[in-house]
Amino acid sequence: MPKLTVNGKPIEVPAGTNLIDAARVAGFEVPHYCYHPGLSIAGQCRLCMVDIEKTPRPTIGCNTVATDGMVVNTETDRVRETRKSIMEFHLINHPLDCPVCDQAGECWLQIYYMKYGLYDPRMTDEKVHKPKAVPLGPHVILDAERCILCSRCVRFCDEITHTGELGIFQRGDHSEIGLFPGRELDNKYSANVVDICPVGALTDRDFRFQVRVWYLDTTKSICPGCARGCNIEVHVNRRRPHHAEGRRVARLKPRLNADVNRWWICDAGRYGFGFVDAADRLQMPVRQQGGTSADTTWDEAIAAMAAPLRRLPADEIGIIASPKMSNEDLFALRRIVDRLGIRHVAAQVPPRAPGDQDDFLIRADKNPNSLGAELMGLGGDARTVIEAAGARRLKFLWIFGHDLLAGALPERDVLEALRVVDTVVFTGSNANWTSAHSHWVLPAAAWVEREGTYTNFEGRVQRFRQAAEPLGQSLAEWQIVGRVLAALGEPSAATRAEHWFRELATTVPAFAGLTYQLIGDAGRPLAEAAARR
Amino acid sequence: MAETVLMRNFSNPDSHTLDAYRAAGGYTAWDRALEMEPAAITEEVKKANLRGLGGAGFPTGAKWSFIPKNHTGPVYLVVNADEGEPGTFKDRYLLERDPHALIEGMLIAARAIRSDKGFIYIRGEYVQPWRRFSAAVKEAYDAGLLGRGFDVVVHRGAGAYICGEETGLLSSLEGKKGWPKIKPPFPAIKGAFGQPTIVNNVETLCCVPPIVTRGAEWFAGLGTKTQGGTRMYSVSGRVKKPAVYEAPVSITLRQLIELAGGVTGTGRLKAVVPGGGSAAILTANEIDVTMDVDGLKAAGSMIGSAGVMVMDESVSIPEALMVLARFYAHESCGQCTPCRESTGWIYKMVHRIVDGHGRKDDLDTILDVAKRGAGTTICAFYDGAVGPYISYIEKFRSEFEALIPHA
Amino acid sequence: MSQGQHAPGAAIAFSEAQLGEVRRLQGLYPDARGALLPVLHMAQDTFGHISLEVEDYVASLFSISPAHVHEVVTFYTLYFRERPGRHVLSICHNLSCHLAGARGIIEHAKRRLGIEAGETTADGRVTLLTVECLCACEAAPMAQVDDRYELNLTPEKLDRLLEGLR
Repeated sequence: MPKLTVNGKPIEVPAGTNLIDAARVAGFEVPHYCYHPGLSIAGQCRLCMVDIEKTPRPTIGCNTVATDGMVVNTETDRVRETRKSIMEFHLINHPLDCPVCDQAGECWLQIYYMKYGLYDPRMTDEKVHKPKAVPLGPHVILDAERCILCSRCVRFCDEITHTGELGIFQRGDHSEIGLFPGRELDNKYSANVVDICPVGALTDRDFRFQVRVWYLDTTKSICPGCARGCNIEVHVNRRRPHHAEGRRVARLKPRLNADVNRWWICDAGRYGFGFVDAADRLQMPVRQQGGTSADTTWDEAIAAMAAPLRRLPADEIGIIASPKMSNEDLFALRRIVDRLGIRHVAAQVPPRAPGDQDDFLIRADKNPNSLGAELMGLGGDARTVIEAAGARRLKFLWIFGHDLLAGALPERDVLEALRVVDTVVFTGSNANWTSAHSHWVLPAAAWVEREGTYTNFEGRVQRFRQAAEPLGQSLAEWQIVGRVLAALGEPSAATRAEHWFRELATTVPAFAGLTYQLIGDAGRPLAEAAARR
Repeated sequence: MAETVLMRNFSNPDSHTLDAYRAAGGYTAWDRALEMEPAAITEEVKKANLRGLGGAGFPTGAKWSFIPKNHTGPVYLVVNADEGEPGTFKDRYLLERDPHALIEGMLIAARAIRSDKGFIYIRGEYVQPWRRFSAAVKEAYDAGLLGRGFDVVVHRGAGAYICGEETGLLSSLEGKKGWPKIKPPFPAIKGAFGQPTIVNNVETLCCVPPIVTRGAEWFAGLGTKTQGGTRMYSVSGRVKKPAVYEAPVSITLRQLIELAGGVTGTGRLKAVVPGGGSAAILTANEIDVTMDVDGLKAAGSMIGSAGVMVMDESVSIPEALMVLARFYAHESCGQCTPCRESTGWIYKMVHRIVDGHGRKDDLDTILDVAKRGAGTTICAFYDGAVGPYISYIEKFRSEFEALIPHA
Repeated sequence: MSQGQHAPGAAIAFSEAQLGEVRRLQGLYPDARGALLPVLHMAQDTFGHISLEVEDYVASLFSISPAHVHEVVTFYTLYFRERPGRHVLSICHNLSCHLAGARGIIEHAKRRLGIEAGETTADGRVTLLTVECLCACEAAPMAQVDDRYELNLTPEKLDRLLEGLR
């Protein structure tokens, strides 16, 4: 572990650390564009210059490995002047697009200019013009004038997705980022280039012109799109509800987790939040009987559910849980299952076609908590429950989230099951065919509207946090289940998801020893998963 | 005048053939080198004070000794025949008139650095030299000189000055754009295709056979204390006899201009570019400088590729700078920000000045921008551009100011 | 290697013999990609210029993305992305040629051919280019015509030269 000094401060860093990262360890920012810890070194932007004792000229920090006894200065007059010069070079041909550029507020030209530039601009000649507003693919749009040619996007497509769609064509100040003419940027991780682009050259088509970034609040969360559980940030617009057609969730961004997704997220996960603010959100408890549909109250709905649950024999009750539910939701549901001795319980509805999977992040299992459901004893194929229902052995069926016609369950069986069961209760966030054919519809809060934990396919338990208020009267599943439990005579003291987790951790052996605090922002493997590593 | 070493075979119209080369004593140096240890060859070249003749003037023997001793994989010898520095044409002559001298130099250098594979990168526009050299390579293979422990791949460039930069050449050889590589690592450690590589200029390698046959002391004695031998000076511009002239490196610029027949045009010397387009310009008062690496360095310029361009009083220095500024803007590879952005901008400013639309602050802006960018780039291309940007304006400022309204 | 233009609509493909040459070239380099520039020269000689289709085809011979072939083709000046004239006249406008009157030669060429630099005559005969140092400064002003250098140009010499280009 080399020991070196940065601005007079002695530090020790792992072997192979470059000077940008070493300076950060010492608490100093070395501004940079082309360097990215997940990509190869380019050394092109020249902004990360630092002074190293015994080296006559400033040297780039990204390509210099910290060595024992190195004396580094990142704040000398010479370094400051060099940064100013490099900032000026970057802005010579940069268009004055800030008023119309989505990147404003999180643009590294703006940020570094205010910190390290602040020179009097003197470029008054015609700037080089390049193509603007060029869609590269379904998710990414290019403005070649804004591009500072840091080559991060090119390296991403070469080194991370191995698809090589992007290149830097021509030379000199006519150099231009682009696609091979006629092609598209359509790999499954295409929008990551928007994250790593330091400026507004590559921007998100979905987010384009929606809302200024300084109106966004950010919350740490987990993508529920598949069993990987990529770490993300949810960016919510609370302060300008008249923007973006009232959408609260403005966008998702990947969050660094060295053990799960590193810096990346797939496009499907990134854009999978549309249902949160969709028009088909369920907001009120609803009673649907004899062809009519009427809003009702939670009290009435819960009472109506509790009656048959109390009355019926256990083997006439069926529950189809969901691997999209959190550990807390599932554990609370487990309480009901145990209390009543229910046997017909399952969580998995097989999909019609196998989900896509690759050797990078995407998992075929498009559920965030299959492992959690399994560990909670709620796994299993819903086919058995549907068969029991169709064979008239069930009088009560509680379905969480699924649209039973969207999976591989035979349509005839599903139709029959829903037709003959006396009481069908649907709990979910969005309306679907199944909710339309249930007797009681209980609105569930979407994942961004509550907190909880998921267990990813590798056994990592990760926290997702609340980023927005539940819509209407929707409640988290654990809250709904808690109310049913109370109606069954077992009131729960849990007022927060964490309370359920505490019980879970002492009850389910796999989760022993885990706490929200230990899980933190990076997640925590289950004891057995940790042992397997 | 001193003896002719590099151009010794030029007067023979068949000098490019193996027979002629052999008849003139060719390939005896290679025979001699085969009896020497590789390290001994390098020592000889070091003692000869041979400096790189492509532009950087780096001591050749020292460069060869940078190859790691314990490397077990391939080592490559790469010949830089991407001659492109404005004012330089010497390598073209060597490729066309004495290709076997280069092949012999390659063989000896390869032995010294323990390379079994050489690449020669010939600029794409040099079609005739390419054909001549390729024919010589075939002759050498047929004669068993090549293909017995050393192979040569002849590779044509496709039109980019930056491929004359050592690592830009390597990138191009690898089938990419000619983007120079960030250093470290240096080519001797990690060069072509990731292996230790020595890149040498054509003329530099042509010096090697004479050094081997006639000895390092002889070669060193021909020149100055810090640079041995003769070299071929490309003299052009406003001189009576533009041509390539061989002279010991101790020759002065004044003597060289005389060799070339003196100044034409008005007959009065105004300025000289001593070392290719990227060298700082010298005024008529500064021509008593020795045309070796250290002599010109002390004079605030460089010998570079020894491309000497002579300007008489009728030459417009602002126009000359505009021509070069246009060149640098066109040839900037675009990889790193300072060069990419400022070569274009500076060309625009100089063009404006020449067109009569210059502004009061333009000259100081150009000087400041150039000074700020110098030393910040991946390669020395920009520093080469800065040579003319700064020297032309500083030494002939009044001529620029005369073009600027209200300056 | 066959010379000439490819017929519009004809599929872009090397002959078997040429593919053998491609493989031979690829084998000369420690990484086959080193043969990209030589193969692009070969493609230009065969197909007349490097169209996008040619780039795509060459990319498939190297297992690199077409975008990276496009990078190379747009970086170097000797690869023509559009069909050039039957002859290419590249007049140097760098320093020594400038001192020797290159501007006048270039203007003369433009007038004689009736085109600007970068353009091709309507009859497809000549493409006129202004280029950087060709390193024949001792014979300035000069130009490259197809594969050869034409030295010590004068307007008269240029006229005779142009007449000879069919």
